[in-house]
Amino acid sequence: MRAALAVFRKELLDALRDRRTLLMVLLSSVAMGPVVLVLISTLVSGVERRAEAREVLVVGIEHAPTLRNFLERQTYTVKAAPAGYEQLLKDSQLADPVLVIGAEFERELARGEAPLVEVVGSSANTRAQGGVGRMLSLLRGFNREQAVLRLAVRGVSVDALEAIQVEERDLASPATRAAQLAFMVPFFVLMAVLYGALTAALDTTAGERERGSLEPLLMNPATPLALTVGKWAAVACVGMLIAVLSCFSFLPGQWLLRSETLAAMFRFGPGEAGAFLLLLLPLAGALAALLMAVAIRCKTFKEAQANATIVVLVVSMLPLVGFLNQGGEAPWHLWVPALAQITLMGRVLKGEALGAVDVGVPLIVSALLAAACLLYVARMLRAAAVK
Amino acid sequence: MIEVQGLAKRFVQGRGRRARTVQAVDGVSFTAADGRITGLLGPNGAGKTTTLRMVAALVVPDAGRVVVDGVDVAARPAAALARMGVLSDARGLYARLTARENILYYARLHGVPDEAARQRVEQLAHTLEMRPLLDRRTEGFSQGERMKTALARALIHDPPNIILDEPTNGLDVLATRALRAALRRLRDEQGKCIVFSTHIMQEVERLCDQVVVVSHGRTVASGTVAELAARTGHRDFEETFVSLAFTADEQAHGEAPR
Repeated sequence: MRAALAVFRKELLDALRDRRTLLMVLLSSVAMGPVVLVLISTLVSGVERRAEAREVLVVGIEHAPTLRNFLERQTYTVKAAPAGYEQLLKDSQLADPVLVIGAEFERELARGEAPLVEVVGSSANTRAQGGVGRMLSLLRGFNREQAVLRLAVRGVSVDALEAIQVEERDLASPATRAAQLAFMVPFFVLMAVLYGALTAALDTTAGERERGSLEPLLMNPATPLALTVGKWAAVACVGMLIAVLSCFSFLPGQWLLRSETLAAMFRFGPGEAGAFLLLLLPLAGALAALLMAVAIRCKTFKEAQANATIVVLVVSMLPLVGFLNQGGEAPWHLWVPALAQITLMGRVLKGEALGAVDVGVPLIVSALLAAACLLYVARMLRAAAVK
Repeated sequence: MIEVQGLAKRFVQGRGRRARTVQAVDGVSFTAADGRITGLLGPNGAGKTTTLRMVAALVVPDAGRVVVDGVDVAARPAAALARMGVLSDARGLYARLTARENILYYARLHGVPDEAARQRVEQLAHTLEMRPLLDRRTEGFSQGERMKTALARALIHDPPNIILDEPTNGLDVLATRALRAALRRLRDEQGKCIVFSTHIMQEVERLCDQVVVVSHGRTVASGTVAELAARTGHRDFEETFVSLAFTADEQAHGEAPR
């Protein structure tokens, strides 16, 4: 126990002395919260602003006074499309579709010849494509109004035209889709913890082998298990420090939210930060042990980095299981480290309460994983020092 | 005092069909007494490092036994290690820590109380002439400075037995002389039992009270330098060593054994 404490103090001091690495990790984890939030909020507020604007971009509105009259009665503002709008749409620089009206529109309409109007968009330009549906339904409204007028002149009831009544009801507000991006936050926090523990984990194992300090270390009366536990405690501590910092970085980050919808949806107070930590701290311990177990097999830091990439890859792919799984959340998700934490952090963001089982299962899995990895490292330590 | 009896160790290299067994040590025995410097002399690959690793409980022997001051290393490795200071072949330091921090780390691992450890660092710095190094980070240390730090680290718990694996490797002549002087002082002033391995004959001639010649993994001769020379009938110690450590065939081909 005394030896483990000595190792813990030394490794922690060593990790904290590695200023450059530490600074990069801290900067990326602490700055990340506010940056991610600002990016999302800019996106969402852009969507909201366009939905509220009620503008129509038109080419050749001077040829269609009837249509203009209709659009203005629907409280839309008619604006002339910018020159070169086709290129702008292709380049995704224009966020609204453009209505193109022919020169003969009014005359053909009067003669009942069905003039052609075009709604120009680009399916590759997702922002503009959102407005195409709105534009088409506006034009359908104009069509119906004209038809009704023509039938009324001929003394035919309007009801003859419509066998059924159709109305669309969209439950999503425009900001909802974009706000789903806020649920990427758990993923960022998780990766920060992983990267935070990475360098320290490799340095205490493969790094120790590479610089030839593992052999003399084992010639101390301390048992390999005590050495391993001390090292692990230091690595886990660094990982947990990163977890705390990145979780709390979202608190001031919230003040930067520009979208009211998002601010209402993304409620992240001290309570949520605490719940995040409750989930992340055990995971930081398990990941630290796992990285050490991977790295102790490697003779050099470089080799260990290559091997640790697999761990990083797996952890970053796990959240995709949640997205890809059509059946939604399955009970086994809670038994997979990292996936469980992502799932549960998502629930916290939705404002759902966590039950004892929800917290307990990942905690037990993390503890078992950490214990297994530590026993493995302790067993490998002697052989690793000699080879 | 260190007693080594009939040590043997076999390693398996490679896996599956390509696996190859190497008999690294095959019957090494010697006794190193207190207040004396015992040299383990042998050509490269003779099994010196493996022998010392078995003495230091890092490698478990296939056969044989090591007893340090009456403590069986296999049965009570922690107790045995507490009575030994080992400067191993690998002597990596922590580059971000100062020499003093490197040394104090080992003091804590040995359970030396803080105050005693601090005094001991000063004392060792005096013995090894490394006081100006103490508060520098070890990054950028020369070979000699590294060796001194590693040695101080190995001796922090004031062990009665000192084991050094090729301590002069990579040292220049002044650093080598300084090390020799330090080892003599440890022997004469404190009566330590010192065992060191080397393949350099001059080292043994200048320093050792007793020589153990190791070749092909086994002890082939032991005694003082004068005794060994008398036994082989050579006046020159190099000739003595060659005739003891190499077979006639190897001597004819001028090659060191594997």
